[in-house]
Amino acid sequence: MNLPRFLAGRLFTGAIVLWGAATLTFIMMHLTSGDTAIAILGGPDAMPTAEQIAAVRAEYGLDRPFLIQYGDWLWRLLHGDLGQSYRLRIPVSEAIGDQIWPTLQLGLTSAVLAFVLAIASATLTVRRKRGWIGKLASVSELVLVAMPVFVIGIALLLVFAFYFPVLPVANAPGLAGLVLPALTLALPMAATLAQVLRQELEDVLEQPFILTARARGLSDLGTRFGHALRHALMPIITLAGFFLAVLIAGAAITESLFSRPGVGRLLVDASNTTDVPVVIGITIVSALFYVIASIAVDLVGAIVDPRTVAR
Amino acid sequence: MRRAVFLGALLLAGCARSATPQADFAQTPSRHAFTYDRSNYVETESGRPGGTLRVSVASDTGTLDLQTIAATNPKWLGRLISDNLVYLDDKGNITPWLAKSWDISPDGKTYTFHLRRDVTFSDGTPFDAEAVRANLDRVRDPKTRAAMTTAYIAPYRSGRVVDRYTFEAQLSEPYTPFLNVLAQSWLGMLSPAVLKKSPAEIASHPIGSGPYVVASYRRQEGIAFTKRRDYAWAPDFLRHKGPAYIDRIEVGFVPEALIRYVSLASGQYQLTIDAPPQNAREIRANPELVLGNRVNLGNPTRAITFNVSRAPFDDTAVRQAFALAIDRTGIARMSGFGEFAPTQAFLSANTPYADLDAKTGGPDLERAGRLLDRAGWTGRDEDGYRTRGAQRLEATVLLTETAMLSPVVVALQADVKRIGFKLDIEQVTTPQLTDRRKRNAYQALGPGYWHTNTPDGLFIVYHGKQISTPAFIGQNTTMLHDARLDALLSAARANRDPAELARLYAAAQERLVTLMPAVPLYENHTLIAYRRSLRGMVYDTSHNMPFLTTAWLAESSS
Repeated sequence: MNLPRFLAGRLFTGAIVLWGAATLTFIMMHLTSGDTAIAILGGPDAMPTAEQIAAVRAEYGLDRPFLIQYGDWLWRLLHGDLGQSYRLRIPVSEAIGDQIWPTLQLGLTSAVLAFVLAIASATLTVRRKRGWIGKLASVSELVLVAMPVFVIGIALLLVFAFYFPVLPVANAPGLAGLVLPALTLALPMAATLAQVLRQELEDVLEQPFILTARARGLSDLGTRFGHALRHALMPIITLAGFFLAVLIAGAAITESLFSRPGVGRLLVDASNTTDVPVVIGITIVSALFYVIASIAVDLVGAIVDPRTVAR
Repeated sequence: MRRAVFLGALLLAGCARSATPQADFAQTPSRHAFTYDRSNYVETESGRPGGTLRVSVASDTGTLDLQTIAATNPKWLGRLISDNLVYLDDKGNITPWLAKSWDISPDGKTYTFHLRRDVTFSDGTPFDAEAVRANLDRVRDPKTRAAMTTAYIAPYRSGRVVDRYTFEAQLSEPYTPFLNVLAQSWLGMLSPAVLKKSPAEIASHPIGSGPYVVASYRRQEGIAFTKRRDYAWAPDFLRHKGPAYIDRIEVGFVPEALIRYVSLASGQYQLTIDAPPQNAREIRANPELVLGNRVNLGNPTRAITFNVSRAPFDDTAVRQAFALAIDRTGIARMSGFGEFAPTQAFLSANTPYADLDAKTGGPDLERAGRLLDRAGWTGRDEDGYRTRGAQRLEATVLLTETAMLSPVVVALQADVKRIGFKLDIEQVTTPQLTDRRKRNAYQALGPGYWHTNTPDGLFIVYHGKQISTPAFIGQNTTMLHDARLDALLSAARANRDPAELARLYAAAQERLVTLMPAVPLYENHTLIAYRRSLRGMVYDTSHNMPFLTTAWLAESSS
């Protein structure tokens, strides 16, 4: 196994993915954002004068040809400069930096929560399809997978913050404020995970080595958690990239619903106000996370199962 | 039997509801209904100092540099951070604030302000004539990108520091609304020391002379304000001496309407600046809560803005007929849940010189039909829409894209169908809307309003000079260029005689009813809600938003 070469290859494709994501967003924002100068000056409700528009065009170099603007932007990006937010009037890196920790907190908590819930649900209900607990688990999983995130969020809010007020409703710092939003994001993920995991477990439990384990006198639960689960987990790790995307999309909704600060809400506001630098900045940062996550997944996979490197 | 029991229960419910204070403006309002009593605006009892007030608002503007933005939601924040040169009284007359008095030259082009001498900004910089000049010059500097405020003080040419506490503003033409706009939150004075710094710094830490200082601003999350203990220059009209009562104000951004209601009812917040109309009934019925419903000055909400330079709305008869088909009472009740007042006037009921007799009329389908018949729209196609020759009576209204289609426009669609008019809806993004407006490529625009504290809002929205040109972006999206209306509105801008202003504005509103460049629908309302423990609540005379200097908490911060 040639780990350094594998890593170098992955880093190279990762860089290409980043450049592609950044360039596509740059082009898309330029095609759809109309007169950027007016957007910067406050959109259609402002009444800018010709001098103001000219000043903005000069300051941001909006009057230059597209390719020059793109080249200049890419050059600055290579130096780590994401530019200035039109709306917030602060550097994009500062705007994202301010908001990224709450989003990471929410994302990590809900990811852990989703894994724990999924493993518990799948491992305990596999091969018990006909029992009431198995039925209950698959029905609730189906419902949760089908339900939009904001419906789950509002339902949780109504139950735990309104009718049985045990948790704060909005904008609460600390752990108590994290419970409902994390659960909102975790539930649909857990449901998908549990279904995939259960299918895997069904297959693994048919394998001869399970029979061997049983023959050695291991209990049913012991085989499930000790032997079958380890084998069934591999495909779940591969799904990590998909869940990153779910998390980013879900964060925008969850953050506004629970009045949490975060990158998701920043992105929604930035798109609504044509704050091009912020939209591009968040896209690049998300792509970066995606690249890192997929390299990490491949790496873990390569270490666990050396055959994958050969691919 | 069962039906009778049901009916009885309904009647009981009805009685119970009418026992609680209830707004339902089913009828077109009288002016009286919205000229609020003076006690809404002045301190009537002194309060208990101390405590922390927690306030929820729907959205974060992303910047606390109010001079540079046009958004209407943070105008109450301006009253915390900064003070203005002048203030309005409850009748719209100009009263002193940071300027003790002022003289206006007979030609109306020179304003001399005599300033207070005891005012300091929170960074210690004294407030003086130099500070006023620095602020007005900063607003006007194109690099500041203060699009709306620049337009508001457009006739301002130059400022002169006569002596330390006397400032002279030179205008290029007489401009009566000058003092009114100087009273608006967006033109609050900031410390000249901070104006020299980067705009990023003002966006996060504006330094004003107001009763509160920004302690921290965490974007998307909240703003914390602490009170200035040495504050002693509230506007005279407010009748408040010394610093504000409440020690600390914590603002949280709560985008979801339902959550703003729930968190107020549970006591997590004591005041919400954006009370959801759909919960107004529950708030009014809750003995612990108070709902504040105020009409904003300026132009009321328009159902639709016609582009009078494009068919079919280039025909006055079509515009008149369209307006006559609209059921304002129904739409207002649907959107405002009984809290919004339908209106047929071009100025808000409480704006000075509003003429509520200048009405658009309606709903009157018969008259609308006769108007369309006379305009030649006599045929009918297979779907029941009117035709003229091979042409169908049809137009598209442009809307900004939102998650939920504006229910107002859907209701309009149904209303005008009754007179055989086919209204189509096209949703576009904000940049696309900007572009279509610039290219004059639209037949009509969706609901909108323009809030300002002077009847000059008519000039901004309907004067021919306010039509966008390649060199200027204006707010007159009707493309109306009527010599008579323009003459009246220009004359009003240059006039300071109340009797003459009343005549000019009445004639202008009369003219607007005839021309019908847009259809007034309902008043532009501000709904706030607060817990009864929050006392001494008064409203700002320019914006009808809370002015928290006089507010106090009855029990310790709960």
